[in-house]
Order: sequence, then structure tokens, then C-alpha cells
Amino acid sequence: MHYVALVKGGSDGTNQETAVEIQELAPFQYRITLDGKEHHVDARALRTDSLSLRVGDEIYDIESEEDPSGAGQNLLVRGELVTVEVVDVRTLHLRKAASTHSSGKGPREVRSPMPGKVVAVLAKDGDTVTEGQGLLVIEAMKMENELKSPKAGIVKKLAIQQGAVVEGNAVLCVVE
Amino acid sequence: VSPAVKKITRVLIANRGEIAVRIARTLREMGITPIAVYSEVDRTAPHVRACELAVELGPAPANESYLVIDKILAAAKQTGADAIHPGYGFLSENAGFAEAVTRAGLTFIGPSADAMRVMGSKTGARRAVTAAKVPVVPGTPPMASVEEARSEAKKLGYPVMIKASSGGGGKGMRLVASEAELESAYRGARSEAKSAFGDDTVYLEKAILEPKHIEIQIFGGPDGKAVWLGERECSMQRRHQKVIEETPSPAIDEATRAAMGAVAVRAAEAVAYTGAGTCEFLFDPASKNFYFLEMNTRLQVEHPVTELCCGTDLVEAQVRVARGEPLPWRQEQIVRRGHAIEARLYAEDPSRNFMPSPGDIVDLVLPQGPGVRVDCGVASGFTVPRFYDPMIAKIAVWAEDRERARKKLLRALAETAVKGITTNGAFLRTLLAAPSFADGTYHTGSIVELMAAGSAPTSEHASVVGMLAAVVQQYRKDLEKSRQAAQGGARGGRSSAWRSIGRGGW
Repeated sequence: MHYVALVKGGSDGTNQETAVEIQELAPFQYRITLDGKEHHVDARALRTDSLSLRVGDEIYDIESEEDPSGAGQNLLVRGELVTVEVVDVRTLHLRKAASTHSSGKGPREVRSPMPGKVVAVLAKDGDTVTEGQGLLVIEAMKMENELKSPKAGIVKKLAIQQGAVVEGNAVLCVVE
Repeated sequence: VSPAVKKITRVLIANRGEIAVRIARTLREMGITPIAVYSEVDRTAPHVRACELAVELGPAPANESYLVIDKILAAAKQTGADAIHPGYGFLSENAGFAEAVTRAGLTFIGPSADAMRVMGSKTGARRAVTAAKVPVVPGTPPMASVEEARSEAKKLGYPVMIKASSGGGGKGMRLVASEAELESAYRGARSEAKSAFGDDTVYLEKAILEPKHIEIQIFGGPDGKAVWLGERECSMQRRHQKVIEETPSPAIDEATRAAMGAVAVRAAEAVAYTGAGTCEFLFDPASKNFYFLEMNTRLQVEHPVTELCCGTDLVEAQVRVARGEPLPWRQEQIVRRGHAIEARLYAEDPSRNFMPSPGDIVDLVLPQGPGVRVDCGVASGFTVPRFYDPMIAKIAVWAEDRERARKKLLRALAETAVKGITTNGAFLRTLLAAPSFADGTYHTGSIVELMAAGSAPTSEHASVVGMLAAVVQQYRKDLEKSRQAAQGGARGGRSSAWRSIGRGGW
């Protein structure tokens, strides 16, 4: 089976692309080729999303979880956190085609980064805002966090009121 | 046991999270019944499960549950408690609470309300210790307005620090570099102080740049005499919130240590302090001067490192002193050995400006092995509420020397995994591995400097192994999907082993 592995590159958002081929040789035994380099892997599931991996003679206990923001799988490898998304080649092509269409300066959603309470609404619907201007303040765990406008534009669909409780990842307004 | 000693058989713990679990453990060891209180969202929290009795206080917000004195006293009455342990945070430094507990005929496990009132207010503490000739950082009384703050700041000279009078734990605190930043910092500090302590009084202090934060653990006995149990260095801080603590401090020599200890004991005895307390100092490594910052009239978050090096149980000592027994140790009996370091695991995302990340803990793997101590307030299957402090666990280690302890903590953190929510676990490892931590020269501004330098990129090796694991997972998922498609979606129900072996029942 062929895949593409995307290793997420952190804050600048660059992904490292690697062509992958996986072949099941026997139960739990795989031959995995990463950009032409072959690895012999013995993989055993421990609990949900946790693996014991033997690569050559090296043993790795790997904890993993789905990234909450959908960036792929977060894997803890000997204390280092790696985020990897594994997609098939067709999905990657479709995604690239789609992103060239929407790379313009379209409307941007402002989402709640965490569940919490809206303690201040700093902008009104229809306001013209600059990039980085504060729009709302959300409080959770005794910490206040100001949500800033992702771009210069006009605030739309801002219906949330001070005191409202919002879920994580909820759309709070749109800046066009 | 002398007849003067008070009876303590049932203790209500007016707190939640890891500290409530930690207190419950010692109480059980002493044969005392631990009683929990909890808010609506904490019914299945570990601290409730760690106790033998539990009373619901009310809705999730702390000011409707953990901060409501009447509800806590009612819970104590309902469960027949004879004493209350306040933990840290919440009502632990509220003199009115200590008084109300005593008035209700119960024992408050902590200092007297009078000592709390003097030492608990930062301005009061400054007055008291200055009288006892303890050096302090230049500062002001409480500020009445932003205008007053502006003119006082000018007199002190920038940079200045704005602090909450009833503060602690870095809440309601702001560093102000210039007059331009003063107004927003003043407002921010006040609103944070209001929501954290219910009191928005703030004052100003001259800021000392690149200082170290070193504190002395003291313990006062019923006779008004106090001892000290070494220091803790807590200079790894972010926004005045401690992240890593250790003892002994790599920055001070034996003479400075002894001088600080003597000053701390003097400060404690000046108010006839009883029980566990901490004198915080700012230490200037260049001049070797130290300045009294404040006294915390409670058990500190970071007390485990002191327990590890002194071989003591501070909660047990608190209970014994509250019963009226003499201190368990004379000064010369306190022997510190080896080195201990603690790291605080927070439910927050370092890559997104340390945004809190409450939510469901799907799975939790905690470190084990020689020299590792874990104080944890969450569990697998528990939802970390968005209403309280984001600290979920403390990982502490003890070893014969500092470098061994540092490596042990790195090892322990590599074993730790919290799934479902984001934590600062990887960030803690970055801090411990930083050259300034390894050589002990780190100061209270080090975290900001380290963050500006950027986090180390993921190693090539970890990326490769991560990819291998992720590919296997995806492959198995896809295989399972096609298998199910082939079966036309008809899934054979898996039978549970519990059902076949658990028939007998109770």
C-alpha cells in the first residue's frame, strides 16, 4: 500500500512530505519504505493508540493520539512529540488543488481555541479591524485570552454576547 | 499523647486536585478519616475518590463552591469533621476562613488568623519584617488609582512590578517596563486579582532584573519557636507561575543559605507563626544580596522537594502541630540529603501561547521507578474542568546529586503521556535540557529567553520512528475499513471477557 506521510513542522506550518510504501510480511511484521529507505518493523498494539515498535533491534514505546485540531496523529517518541498525517496520494493531490483555489484573501473564521466564557466583546458586527486587533476575550482556568483578528477586514456574523459560554473550536465571527 | 492535645480524627479537605489527593494520603496513613468536598463537575475527580466521605458544594465556578465558607462549614458539620485542611490556593490564605473554622469549634490546620492577616497581606508582611530588620525590595502601600500608581512608579523608577495585595502564585502580577505599559498592566493585574482572590487591591515594587527566586521552608511550633527546612529555588517561572522547582539551590553557598534561614525564622517568630509557611526571597546572583518578597502562610505547591531531601512529611507535621503537639524536629535534627527537582505538568499548550487546554483525558501514563514521586489530580476518563487552575500533576525526583536528579526527571517526563488534552510535558523537557538549567545559572526571565530562542526542532530520528508508527496505524485502520466493507457492515459483536468470567458477582 502506498501513502504520503506529512511530518508537521511546527509554528511556521511547513510540512515535510515523505513517500511511503508498507507491506505486511507476516502478522505484526511490516516492511516500510520511507523515501526509498527500507525499515523492518514489528508493531504490536498495547492499548488504544499505543504501540510497541521494534525497528531493527531498537524498541520504542509509542503513545499516540489524534491531534485535537485535526492535524494528524500526535506521537510521543522517547519524549519527543511528532505530529504526522498519513494520507493516500489521491487525497493529497485533491487537497493541493483545492488550496491553490482558496489561497486568495477570502473570509477568515475566528474560532474559539478552547471551551470557556466570553468575558469581553471588543468589536461589533460591521467594524473595520486591522490584523492583530483584539476581537474577543475568552476566559478558562482563570486565564484570559484575547482573540485577535487574523486579517484586516470587516467583522461579520459576530453574534456572541459577553458572558456566553462557548465550546472549543466554535466559530465566533468571520473577518472578510 | 498529653491531655492538652486536641483530638483530630476526621479532616475535611477544603480543596481539590493533586493537593487534596496528597493530603488525603497522609491522613489515611495517620488513621484519620479524610473528607472531600467537590463541585458539580468534580464528582468523579481523584480527590473525591481518595477520601472516605464527600459532600457536594454546588456549581462549578469556585465562587459558588470551593470558595464558599458557609457551604464548607456545613459540609464539615454534616460529616462530623473536627478539623479542616485548606490546601493551597482557594481559601488557604483567607484569615476570615480560618477564623470562621475556629468559631465553628473546629481546628484549622494552618497558622493563626492573626499571623495570616499580617503575613498574608504583602504590605502587612513588609511592615512586620522590616521591623524585624529583614531586607525588602523598595515598594509602595496599596494604590488607590491608576494616577497614583503612575506617580509612584515614576518615583521608584522603571521597571516596576505590580502585585496583588492578597496575591500568590503569580496571579495579579505584572512587570511594567515603561510608563506606556502602566495603565493596561494596572487594569490587567486588578481584574486578575479580583477573579483569583476576590480582592483587587494592588501595590508597586521596584523590579530587580534577572533575579533568582529562592524561598525558605519554615515551620512554627505551638511555643512560637520556628525551624527552617532548607530552601527551594523556583526561578523557572513563566508569567510568575512556577514551572520547575529544586532544592538545594545551585546558586547559593552555605553561608547565604544559613543567613536566609535565620532571617526566615526571625520573620516567622515575629508573628508567632505556627505550622508550615514559606518566606520567599529575591536573590541577586551578582551582589549575593537577598530581599524578602512575601510569606506564604500555607503549604506550598512545591513542598515535595523539601520532603524528599529532608525525609519528612510536612502534612503530617501540620496535623501534629494543629493538635498542639510540639514540632517533630529540633533544628539540628533537620538533615538535608541529595537533590530533588519537581516539574509541574499543566493542561496548557506551549505552542499556542500556553492556552489552557481543558477536556477529556482519554489515557494517562505516569512515570514510575526509583526516586520518582507523582502527585496527580487527574485520571484517565476524567474531564479536566475549565474552571480551575490548569496544573494537573507534579512529577518530582530525588537523586544523590543535581545532575543525576536532572537526568532522572528527564527520564521520568519521557515516560509521561497524557492523551486527549495538550500539556506542557515536552516543554518541561526542553527547560530541563537547556544549558542555563543544566549549569544552574537560570533566572526568572530564562523561560522567556528560551522561548525567544525557539524550541529545538524534532530530531530526524524521532520523525522517522513517528512516521513508521503512524503508517502502521493508518494501514491497520484502512485494512479494518475494507474488511468491514467486505462484510457489508455486519459486525460481529465482540463478547467481553468480563461477562464470561464475572458471572458469579458479589
